[in-house]
Amino acid sequence: MARDNIFVGLEIGTSKICAVVAEARNDGTLKVVGVGSVPARGVRKGEIVDFETAKRCVHDAIVDAEEKSDVEISEVYLGITGSHIRSFNNRGVVVLEEGREEIDEQDLDDVRTNAREVSLPMEDCILHTIIQHYYVDGQDGVLNPVGLLGKKLEADFHIVYGIRTRIQNAIRCVKELELEPADVIINSFATAQAILEKNQKQLGAIVIDIGGGTTDFVVYVDGAVKQSGVLAIGGDHITNDISIGLKIPSARAEKLKVEEGNVTLGTAFPGETILLKDETGFAGREIERESLNQIIHERLREGLDIVKRQIEADQNLHYVGAGVFITGGCSQIRGLEHLASDIFGMPVTMAHALPMAGVTSAFENPQFSTALGLVKYAHLVQMDRPMSGGLIKNAFQKIKGIFRN
Amino acid sequence: MVQLNRQYDRASSSGEPIHVKVVGVGGAGSNILDRVMLDGIEAADLVAINTDVQSLTASVAAHKVQLGRNLTRGLGSGGDPELGYAAAEEATDEIRSVLQGGTVIFLCVGLGGGTGSGAAPLVAQIAKEENALVLAFAAVPFSFEGRRRCAQAEESLTRLRAVCDAVVCFENDRMAEITLPRMGIHEAFAAADLTVSQSIRSVAALMQRPGLLHIGFDDVCTVLRNGDARALFGYGEADGENRAHDALAKALKNPLMNRGALLEDAFHAIVHICGGPSVTLGEVQIIMEELNRHISEQTQLFMGIGIETRMGNRLSVSILSSLGSGSDKPVAQRRQRTVHPVEPAPVPDVKPEPWKPAPSSNPPLPAVAAEQSVPPEAHAERATDELMLPRSDSEPHKPTHVRAATKTDSKPQLAIVKKAEVKQETLQFEPISRGRFEKSEPTIIDGQDLDVPTFLRKNIRIR
Repeated sequence: MARDNIFVGLEIGTSKICAVVAEARNDGTLKVVGVGSVPARGVRKGEIVDFETAKRCVHDAIVDAEEKSDVEISEVYLGITGSHIRSFNNRGVVVLEEGREEIDEQDLDDVRTNAREVSLPMEDCILHTIIQHYYVDGQDGVLNPVGLLGKKLEADFHIVYGIRTRIQNAIRCVKELELEPADVIINSFATAQAILEKNQKQLGAIVIDIGGGTTDFVVYVDGAVKQSGVLAIGGDHITNDISIGLKIPSARAEKLKVEEGNVTLGTAFPGETILLKDETGFAGREIERESLNQIIHERLREGLDIVKRQIEADQNLHYVGAGVFITGGCSQIRGLEHLASDIFGMPVTMAHALPMAGVTSAFENPQFSTALGLVKYAHLVQMDRPMSGGLIKNAFQKIKGIFRN
Repeated sequence: MVQLNRQYDRASSSGEPIHVKVVGVGGAGSNILDRVMLDGIEAADLVAINTDVQSLTASVAAHKVQLGRNLTRGLGSGGDPELGYAAAEEATDEIRSVLQGGTVIFLCVGLGGGTGSGAAPLVAQIAKEENALVLAFAAVPFSFEGRRRCAQAEESLTRLRAVCDAVVCFENDRMAEITLPRMGIHEAFAAADLTVSQSIRSVAALMQRPGLLHIGFDDVCTVLRNGDARALFGYGEADGENRAHDALAKALKNPLMNRGALLEDAFHAIVHICGGPSVTLGEVQIIMEELNRHISEQTQLFMGIGIETRMGNRLSVSILSSLGSGSDKPVAQRRQRTVHPVEPAPVPDVKPEPWKPAPSSNPPLPAVAAEQSVPPEAHAERATDELMLPRSDSEPHKPTHVRAATKTDSKPQLAIVKKAEVKQETLQFEPISRGRFEKSEPTIIDGQDLDVPTFLRKNIRIR
């Protein structure tokens, strides 16, 4: 099997570490050949806090994926998240020198470089510079300016940056396992690739990935990434709230959340209770269902409210036509759809990755949206530049750039 | 009131068999009756009384009485209680003959319509004249059914209360609360019927079943008489290791119970535990101790225990109680209902005896009593005349029960004080806790530490 056709997405999540192996087929589609997943330890809020433990988990996940897919993994597309990741939109400008009127590839690189020239704090580095729109001599809506005549090329970019050392932690973890990080992608962006169809991006869509430790979101307007963000709140917080509120151990709170949790208030009978049983079946305490739901409700409402406020602050909410797409492990909590549509006032879809060939159970589970998105992103990048063959080189440059920056 | 019966094969201490008749009046009444029939009830005659022949034919009851043969000619009473009353009046003899011989008569009726509201008080009246003890189970319409209907129900309820030994009132609104809004409407109504039927069956069984500790109709009356606004009823059955706990939990889970939370406000409660010969003292203890957590110190508990071999390994718990009409009502009015004395057994000759209030009588008392005996105006004159006059005769009040009156005297006030205490807000003095995120980097947005549980920051009290 030609190695160029194999993509591996690795997501180091707070609750689980998973690696998705996919194969690019000749007809331009992707086939998922294997998914390796292990419960994560040593990761909090999407970032590694215990290096050795996390490394062992990543190793296990990779081995699991190798066994299931029968592929030897040597490079991975690494998903990154964490509260330190920030983003902004910036415009780059390039004026063509006298005597030249045709815009070429070099100008595109220049305008990108120009847009990246912003003063960031010392410790930060840029992760992504995602193109939104080109303008040639002030003309709007240029999709590909190469070959067009003009004097001035402008471009809007969505720039994602984060603290270099914290991004390096994840990269180092992968490198120490003798794996090459082919590229580093923020989770929200990857997730959107797995979930959204092209026309949905055009219409405008919000993708919210509520995971174990973080809530990642990305806003698409007119087919381009307009806004992205990471909120260090996730399913762990719900579990923690339940544990504190009902005074039960975390493990039991987690189980209760998954098995009984519902975000909709008023669905429980007045005084309806849940009997907590331990492994031996010994009947312990009774817990009021409404209290449980209330705790979950407050946390998720707050989280979604913050996301909404941030999107509103950038005045993007009104340009979203396709609605909100919620995915991630936490999206499985019952009733979230209604809560979210109540908060955002637009249609909400509980999304999982779009169907691909191969392991069906993978993309039907919202927990794997990000990892699947990573391979999809990798595939898209390769499709974009089929002839260059320098994808890996390119990626290396990018990562080197991260270190340089 | 709770008698210790050493010979448990005997039906009751008197040795006389109790003839139970379940009477459904009107459309809703026969629905409940059908439900009772479907669920199965032992040794009871089922009687359906209705104006509507169609509904009557459909009923599964063994005895049927058609009201208003000449008046309505087999049609319904069209929501007119006057017509319902007149129709019942026409069939007085028939009703009397079918009710004859019943010691205890359960009257189930849906109030608000014509036949139910109009005829039920008269049926109760006739039953009373036949020296039966009358216990009415009345379903009050949904408030969305209109004010007129509710007013008719309210009026009829007042009349029923005047005649019957006890009235258990099931508010449909309350029933709706317990069924999920997304449940089918038929399910909601069926759930209401089921609850009523369950209570009828268990009350009947309570009295008929032989018991170690027997509960008699007198106890039932004491408990139900006490309140008028809301009946509390729960029934649970379980087997297995933890059956005592499970059965009680099921009983408390019953829609009308609100997990025992409402029991706290009740003055009396009946608990009946029934099981096979394997019931242990420990199990009874578990049930009673757990139950005691749900009731207030003032609550008077009537405990009954029945041993039946046919129960096998199962254990059942029935709880029956009632709430007063709420603390906002005048104390006097409440007490007046509270202290209605109760007859322990059928009394052959009923002598009119004016009720003497407790020594510490206060002014509003006679007024309330008077108000109750004044017939509501909407019904026909003849109706009220016949209805109301014998009522005062049939209400037996014995001086011996003044004891009960004095005893309950202080209770309403106590309960009110207690309510006030509950309403007082409790301050939480818990330290702000971040739990498992204690050592991790805080997530601070808009000046709020998001690692601290949202409900703590918003100060929402979690029970």
